[in-house]
Amino acid sequence: MEKSTKDIIQEFETKEYEYGFVSDIETDTIARGLSEDVVRLISEKKGEPEWMLERRLKAYRHWLTLEHPKWAHLDIPEIDFQDIIYYAAPKQKPKLNSMDEVDPELKRTFDKLGIPLEEQMALAGVAVDAVMDSVSVKTTFRDTLAEKGIIFCSISEAIKEYPELIKKYLGSVVPYTDNFYAALNAAVFSDGSFCYIPKGVRCPMELSTYFRINAEGTGQFERTLIVADEGAYVSYLEGCTAPRRDENQLHAAVVEIVVEKDADVKYSTVQNWYPGDKEGKGGIYNFVTKRGICREGGHLSWTQVETGSAITWKYPSCVLQGDNSSGEFYSVAMTNNYQQADTGTKMIHIGKNTRSRIVSKGISAGRSQNAYRGLVRVAKGADNARNYSQCDSLLIGDKCGAHTFPVVDCFNPTAVLEHEATTSKISEDQLFYCNQRGLSTEDAVGLIVNGYAREVLAKLPMEFAVEAQKLLSLSLEGSVG
Amino acid sequence: MLKVENLHASVGDKEILKGINLEVKAGEVHAIMGPNGSGKSTLASVLAGNEKFTVTAGKVEFEGENLLEYNIEERSRKGIFLGFQYPVEIPGVTMANFMKLAVNEQRKAKGLEPLTAAEYLKLMREKSAIVELDAKLTQRAVNEGFSGGEKKKNEIFQMAMLNPKLAILDETDSGLDIDALRIVATGVTRLKTPENATVVITHYQRLLDYIVPDYVHVLYKGRIIYTGDKSLALKLEKEGYDWLINDYKEE
Amino acid sequence: MIEKRICELIAAKPLPEGGRITDGGWYIGEYGDCDIVVTTGSKAILVVTDGDGSSDINIDVERGAELSILSLVTSHSAMNLAVAIAEDAACRMTQVVVSSSDTRVVASLMERGAEFDMNGVFLLVEDDKASVTADVNHMASDCRSNTRVKGVATGKSHGSFAGLVYVAPDAQRTDSVQSSRNITSGEARIETMPQLEIYADDVKCSHGATVGQMNDDAILYMRQRGLSLADAKRLQIEGFVDDVVLHSVVEGSEAILAELLAEKLSKM
Repeated sequence: MEKSTKDIIQEFETKEYEYGFVSDIETDTIARGLSEDVVRLISEKKGEPEWMLERRLKAYRHWLTLEHPKWAHLDIPEIDFQDIIYYAAPKQKPKLNSMDEVDPELKRTFDKLGIPLEEQMALAGVAVDAVMDSVSVKTTFRDTLAEKGIIFCSISEAIKEYPELIKKYLGSVVPYTDNFYAALNAAVFSDGSFCYIPKGVRCPMELSTYFRINAEGTGQFERTLIVADEGAYVSYLEGCTAPRRDENQLHAAVVEIVVEKDADVKYSTVQNWYPGDKEGKGGIYNFVTKRGICREGGHLSWTQVETGSAITWKYPSCVLQGDNSSGEFYSVAMTNNYQQADTGTKMIHIGKNTRSRIVSKGISAGRSQNAYRGLVRVAKGADNARNYSQCDSLLIGDKCGAHTFPVVDCFNPTAVLEHEATTSKISEDQLFYCNQRGLSTEDAVGLIVNGYAREVLAKLPMEFAVEAQKLLSLSLEGSVG
Repeated sequence: MLKVENLHASVGDKEILKGINLEVKAGEVHAIMGPNGSGKSTLASVLAGNEKFTVTAGKVEFEGENLLEYNIEERSRKGIFLGFQYPVEIPGVTMANFMKLAVNEQRKAKGLEPLTAAEYLKLMREKSAIVELDAKLTQRAVNEGFSGGEKKKNEIFQMAMLNPKLAILDETDSGLDIDALRIVATGVTRLKTPENATVVITHYQRLLDYIVPDYVHVLYKGRIIYTGDKSLALKLEKEGYDWLINDYKEE
Repeated sequence: MIEKRICELIAAKPLPEGGRITDGGWYIGEYGDCDIVVTTGSKAILVVTDGDGSSDINIDVERGAELSILSLVTSHSAMNLAVAIAEDAACRMTQVVVSSSDTRVVASLMERGAEFDMNGVFLLVEDDKASVTADVNHMASDCRSNTRVKGVATGKSHGSFAGLVYVAPDAQRTDSVQSSRNITSGEARIETMPQLEIYADDVKCSHGATVGQMNDDAILYMRQRGLSLADAKRLQIEGFVDDVVLHSVVEGSEAILAELLAEKLSKM
């Protein structure tokens, strides 16, 4: 069995990234580097109002005072922020009235990625706001959504059309002062999605956005804002694949979610960006700030399946501000080869009777490093707060690392908080058992890992769950230990 | 000894006891029966002083005093014992240590000196024999790892130690096999004197074969809807509660 | 006083010149920096008590030796205790913290077959502020560690626990358990940071942390039997920390430790 294991490792180490292709589209870019002029230029290119430019400049000036944070369990190469292109938009006709008008090259790229931008999306019940590089290309089903008063558009459009909502909510959950990358994003964000569900409305379909990093050396700074007004419900999907690159690419997105009174938001991510090759060359740097705030009785659930990126650094968090609000975080983070991940969540209990639940499943293979980092804080007034955290790590191979860094900080003596963590490897016995029943070691590992991650995968919407399962097996290939 | 008049009690917004009237005199044994959810355990908890329940109306007099003025431990020291349906496990706290504190608190309330170690040990030995409780159990943590039967025996053992005026036994028979039931019931009977009284809350008639009640009350929807003698228990066992409940509904 | 009684129990001697100790009982009073070697194959008991101030204690436990450490923290002190454990050697430790203090224990399992066990408790009242750190480094294969720290923070106190289990590459067949269990009441604050950093795959590592309160049902039960609310709470806390006392590495010290805790509890 030892031998077959090695064979499989070799076989998988030579496996190439399936989505590693470059599409050839004319791109409208500005020169490399960052300055006030660049910030002004981005704002101008997007035709933004003056107040938005002011916000960007404020963030930029603040960013200049910050240093790159070092606390994560990550080995991050020096990033030259003057060597990044901060704006790239695919050149195309200004207005598209039908699919025929979409650049055929762009369409082919989407097809390769399997993004269904065609009419059949209606059947699938998925509205897609596809971001190709930095500008929204096409948003579908807006009419259907508009009937219910739901706004789902690019953030650029929202800035122009719904300035009051944007002024009220943008930066209200993740202010530009929050951290280094939040400041950078606030200064130079290119585009992203805006979603507003009015009072008492249940969004009739899963909303989804596909991000794709394309132009060479282009930083991506998406900005997403989701607002679920009182009693509203929405399930939002975010899925990512990126083409192969030798040069590292920086991605510093910000996602803000506002869950008003008794609203319910479910945010699911499958992240499969280019992780670099088996030597650790290339790959995306994924430094994301994701946070939601829950008012009274609100509920926010984060589910993430992280298999891609060379470096992942993100903590989708919940601020449980209102009484009786609740937050959940379900995560599967898989690293292979030289990937590094430092991910987890923060649950900040402020309101009374707030509940949170954390389930994190880390899987490390190859020479990767995978860390769970979490904070559960119970503020003084958060009577009867409850948290349950479970953080498991699975090690595949003896060259990888699995780490758990939870912090529990309790200021209120009525809280009940529990944290459990285990670290283990796939047992020889399990593999042997599967082998004996005729499964290949590769299939057995896929099976065992999917079983291990099942609790989290089950939280994903159906169409995502299937994709995520495939991704896990794909990312794992070649790592049996 | 105990006089309950028009007692109303609720938990949160939900009223559970809706006007209970009950009088228990020294030397008497009362059985309280009734279908699930009728308020039997709540009555026991309210009498013992569980703060989870709010008394919204009515009076409870114990030995001529207003019982409702006292908190749970004060009531205990005045001689009210509640045998719990589900005795709590208290890890790390030994039975011996726990009971010693309890006995001495009661003595203090009566103006008596605490027991010496020797006196206490003697008392323990004597009382554990009443319920055939394995003496080793007193060295273990309170109820921790006890079997269902041991827990119930332990309740009666503590009752023996504290020698209450009024013992309220909440479903003491539930989960007991026939031998354990006999031991527990015999224990209760042996502790009976003309000066004390017992209220037995139960589902089944079988306990009443051993502890013969003077009165049997049927509790339904927070009220005592019928009172009879021990033959009532037998009738309930055979015919169920429907005939009573139907009558009650017609009223 | 307590120090004296425990030292008598094990006929403890002060550290010899050069710090090399063999079989028998030893003590370090009021800390002070020191280097200690527990010589090959010997069985030593070390009582460490503090005075106000800080200290660094470095201990080498040589091959096959067994060291038991009883650490009592009763003053405003800072302690760094580093213990390196060699092949098939073992170090067992009981630590009782009842004062505002900062204690840091770093155990390194340097060679195969080394073992480390720690049972600790901190009990804080009023505005005490204590931090307890317990780091265990598994540097070699086939080592075992077990770290259990219980915390009680009452009044306006602030207790924090940080513990790291580090497993070096190639420290295969590591078996490690770490737990942090805490009870808070009043306006107290509890922080706990149990951490794992693992670079080997054939390992069995688990950690758990809880923050909770006293069990209301148990309190109610005790009050029904006539105990006062304060006594019921005290008894429950005693029960919670009792196993630390019962597993004291110094045989016969249980009653003394229980007294120390009871005295502290009376200030709750």
